[in-house]
Amino acid sequence: MYTRYVTACLMGAVGLMLLIGPACSKKEIQSTSGSKSSEQAMAKGAGKGSTSGRTEPGISEQDLLKQGKDPSAEGDIKVAKIQPSDATGRLAEDMRREQAATAAAGLKDVFFAYDSWNITEQARQALSADAEWIKANPTILLKVEGHCDERGTQAYNLVLGEKRAKAVRNYLAELGVGANRLAVVSYGKERPFCQEHDESCYQQNRRGHIVVRPK
Amino acid sequence: MSLMRVVVFIAYLAVCAALVGIMESGAADVFLEATRPDFQKIPIGVLGFQGKTAVDGSAGQVADILKADLRRSQIFSVADLPKLGIKVSDVDGAEKALFKQATENGISVLVWGKLGVKEADVVLDGYVYDGGEDEVVAGKRYVGPSSVVRLMVHRLADEIVFRYTGEPGIARTKIAYVSEQAGARELYVMDYDGYAPRQVTADGFLNLMPRWSPDRRFLVFTVYRSRLTQDIDMIELATGKRLTLVSLGGLNITPAFSPDGNDLVFATSQDGNSELYKLDTRTKVLQRLTNNSAGDLSPSWSPTGREMAFTSDRGGGPQIYLMSADGSNVRRLTFAGDYNAAPAWSPRGTWIAHVCRTQKREYKLCLISPDGQQSRQITTGPGVDDSPSWSPDGRHLVFSSTLEGKSHIYMINWDGTELERLTSGGIHHSSPSWSPL
Repeated sequence: MYTRYVTACLMGAVGLMLLIGPACSKKEIQSTSGSKSSEQAMAKGAGKGSTSGRTEPGISEQDLLKQGKDPSAEGDIKVAKIQPSDATGRLAEDMRREQAATAAAGLKDVFFAYDSWNITEQARQALSADAEWIKANPTILLKVEGHCDERGTQAYNLVLGEKRAKAVRNYLAELGVGANRLAVVSYGKERPFCQEHDESCYQQNRRGHIVVRPK
Repeated sequence: MSLMRVVVFIAYLAVCAALVGIMESGAADVFLEATRPDFQKIPIGVLGFQGKTAVDGSAGQVADILKADLRRSQIFSVADLPKLGIKVSDVDGAEKALFKQATENGISVLVWGKLGVKEADVVLDGYVYDGGEDEVVAGKRYVGPSSVVRLMVHRLADEIVFRYTGEPGIARTKIAYVSEQAGARELYVMDYDGYAPRQVTADGFLNLMPRWSPDRRFLVFTVYRSRLTQDIDMIELATGKRLTLVSLGGLNITPAFSPDGNDLVFATSQDGNSELYKLDTRTKVLQRLTNNSAGDLSPSWSPTGREMAFTSDRGGGPQIYLMSADGSNVRRLTFAGDYNAAPAWSPRGTWIAHVCRTQKREYKLCLISPDGQQSRQITTGPGVDDSPSWSPDGRHLVFSSTLEGKSHIYMINWDGTELERLTSGGIHHSSPSWSPL
């Protein structure tokens, strides 16, 4: 049943093509160049619509061997050679300075339970100590990074990481640190501190990491 | 030709289109449904690619690539010809005898060809013999530099799949993904079978969640620029040109083009929590789709572009919800388990793949029908499975998994069979996205 309808529609399409043929450089209906033009039609990535006109029952391809064009010119997804940018050099330098400044400050990170962004009692103690240092260095700007262990989806872990980072910022704000000094970023499970697949590593990665932003 | 004839033809076509449209609404019946349990794969044999000017070693390689492409299509069962006693070493001139032998062994379709050189180019000829019609039904010649031999074979495979299904094959498609090198996660594109990985970005930090534009020209993705902001950029693959599409406050993640390419839906946390917004790429008008205190993210469009699936934790933990493209008619889809995320709507419309957390707290891949009536878990075993993405023929998924320790990218049939690893070596591969046709 279906093929009958499709054949009928295609006969109608053939008729219409013959009708308006001269006006458009159309693709697939002349059978002698059928395979070549269909090669092109498929290659343009035009999808089902253009290829369906070639080989339906009732339309036979007589001329089988056709010279294909250079395949690299048609239909392949080309990827340009990347230009290495000098941004990577500056980035590495920035990160080194950030790590040095953070280490010098000696700020404690806070850790979270599975699936949670709740500030635990242990976390509160760590943040109280951090808050003292931060308030004593009023010109310093900081960043709170939210991290997750490898379980769960990439996308939802970005949201979970953001909740963790914001929970840390909010708690520090309660302790008197200006929230505008604390940028928030989530890395989800993308920049873990360890790579193992056991609970002790997972715990290391479920973290709010506080970073000093160097001037 | 009179205006009257034009009008009549146009009216006839409109009627045909309407009829086809009506037929297609019963979509599951109309497609050559390789997913029906009673579907019989077509037995096919690949005789070989020898020739008088055969290129050393490549002929066997060509046959192997073709056999793998045909197997992956799920339309064919590729026969082991030597096991059936059918000699494949020299096809030239011996076709008729081989056809007879093959069809006597129940093989319906035979493929063979010649691999040769012409000046600096490789010439690949491929022929298809159909036992039912008892004739050679197709022949194609591909000419090009040796660097594109794999593509030529993929094209031949797609041609064969098209002949027997009416749908284009997927051997020529690509997979975009993220790979880690020297502490940075960058975008890459590889062939659908894992070959020829090509680096797309070199930003030196963290790029995530690439998604293809429907015309395959662009990737959209999240870029951690200056390590303080997370923007959504678009890159034109052929030129490397970049454009920032979204730079709202907070996280800007999970971008997804509508099937017609006109709209980009994404999640942003500029309002404090993650909300879905839609950007009209032509008018640049931004429309907010969700408005609540929960996290809404990971949109996946239905193939018609009228609806989308997304993740929301408005019910407590992450679950999959559906809504219309304008944000109305939100309803919850997943109710089993307390963690369902990363939805991917199949191009056939019949399944939504997603990550599901089992009772044993494993993160696996599941399927659920858009009406919520049917669901199944399709991966099991160790490792965290993530980021499912459908092939354009709706028969395969690509996803990341730590089942072997490191995070790699795998392909699997929609029903969970034929797991195949695509990436190798390296440190970490994730976030795959299958290109359109």
